[in-house]
Amino acid sequence: MHISDGILKPEWVFFWFAISAIFIALGLRIINKRIKEDPVYLPRIALLGAVVFVISVWHIPVPVTGSSSHPVGTPMASIIIGPFATVVISAIALFFQSFVAHGGLTTIGANTFSMGIVGTFGGYFTYRLLKNISPLWFSAGTAGLVGSIFTYMTTALELALSLNPGNVMHYWELYSLGFIPTQLPLAFAEFAFTAYVIKYISETGSMEKTAVSCPLDRFTKTALLLMFSILSIIAIGAYVGYLDGAKMAGTDGIVETQAAPSASPDGIGVRLMALLGEPLGFAMVGITGGLFTGYFLSDLRRKK
Amino acid sequence: MLEWLSGDPLNGAIITITFFISLIIGKYIRMKRTASGYRGKSIDQRIKLIVLFFLIISITLMTHWYTPMGISMVCILISIRTNIFQEYSRKLVFPVVLSLFIIVIQGLTYGSTKIDLGIISVYKEGFEYGFLVFSRVFAATSLTILMLSTASETEILDTMRWYRIPAALIDISSLMMRYIKAFSTESRKMKRAQESRCGFSGSCGFRGKMHNLASISGALISRAFIRAEQVYIAMISRGWKHDQGSFSRLRSLNNSDMIMGFVLSAGIIILLGIDRAL
Repeated sequence: MHISDGILKPEWVFFWFAISAIFIALGLRIINKRIKEDPVYLPRIALLGAVVFVISVWHIPVPVTGSSSHPVGTPMASIIIGPFATVVISAIALFFQSFVAHGGLTTIGANTFSMGIVGTFGGYFTYRLLKNISPLWFSAGTAGLVGSIFTYMTTALELALSLNPGNVMHYWELYSLGFIPTQLPLAFAEFAFTAYVIKYISETGSMEKTAVSCPLDRFTKTALLLMFSILSIIAIGAYVGYLDGAKMAGTDGIVETQAAPSASPDGIGVRLMALLGEPLGFAMVGITGGLFTGYFLSDLRRKK
Repeated sequence: MLEWLSGDPLNGAIITITFFISLIIGKYIRMKRTASGYRGKSIDQRIKLIVLFFLIISITLMTHWYTPMGISMVCILISIRTNIFQEYSRKLVFPVVLSLFIIVIQGLTYGSTKIDLGIISVYKEGFEYGFLVFSRVFAATSLTILMLSTASETEILDTMRWYRIPAALIDISSLMMRYIKAFSTESRKMKRAQESRCGFSGSCGFRGKMHNLASISGALISRAFIRAEQVYIAMISRGWKHDQGSFSRLRSLNNSDMIMGFVLSAGIIILLGIDRAL
């Protein structure tokens, strides 16, 4: 289910647009590079875009509930043409879908994030993880299942963040539960659909034409994998904490008393955080630390 | 009921005179325009798209349900007048279902003032907030449907080009536009053919149906790859190249378009101001 116009608050509209724009820019860069090497790549990705469009407006009757809903199609596309190109085509598909009031113009950013980024990368990483240890149909099907569930969980999170900022976790849970009756059977339908389609395409040899070598080098891949792993641990920890009733109370008190009891309450770090606000302050620390480490890491390796 | 007659006749007289004179003037303007074949000035697509975006943003900032509902009513009237009500109402189903779901969740969980409805009790604040979101969705979607139903896909692509959207994105979009139609038609045909061979009969079961559906999709994708490549090579051989721009160049915005843009923007601000002041 795509988010319609009029639901998200303006700050969230622009936030999701900004996040999606970064991924779309990366995707376009990769597509342009690939088109220069192989011009026929353009109709292939456009065709997959049409497939994503048709699949995600294709209403499939959902057993159990008796209602109908739609699959996302982006995990399947990511297996065929790669995740970054899939982000671009899903953004375009969502733009065209707004013409039939499926989604909306102002929510293209949010819908691209859920369906085109989280659904795509969730599905793609699942496929890559399972590819070497399970049959092709199973890894592709699981990618479809995971991508579909991730998409709807992200949609639920986007709704909770915008509509109920005061109690995000509670409403995330509620919206996710609300989607379950239609989306869980649908995710299993997507499992079967993706598994069969990928199996069929690989048997006919079309996968070889479109197969993309991952444009990222080993270092970038490791860094991204580490980032997703740490984020997953944090998300699981936060959820466990929430279930235990921690209510995101923060850890400032514990850090002050146990980790840094002698730290000055008027230190530069404290003052910077007060000046920038915690999210921006931590982002600055992350950017500075990451840039510094990334820049000097090759020197350190060479010295070894 | 007749208090205005005894207590405030001047205002009553003014409103009566202005109403009927305006009615006559309106009637004559309409007659004159119909006689000269004037069909109204259409708003430039570039202005329309940007105004639509900001109008939707302003709707999400509205704090009373009746302002978006007023906009929705106007949209319904326009859709009836332009004979697109059936299409308009069909497209509204999905967003309305989603917003009803939001009303239910907000009404049952958010707020502190409980209203007992017999079987269940709902929260007043949650219901009001949910209904506000519902009215915003209704208005925003109505506007999108009406605005986009008057724009062709080629015009939208040209508008995107004018807004300096990357060429690769536009080329993929223009190809996608053609493929979507071909793909939808072909998939429908293949599904019907499969149906006629009992491919989706009740005895197939869910697994069988899904297998048949996926086989159609797989076959369609595989064949379409070959066909799309052949057509693209033919396009290249006839001089088409990636990133060549549009054949129908958009004229630059003239003064009347700019004025129309300013007027519409001012209208949006006034509308938002009225909603906030209410």
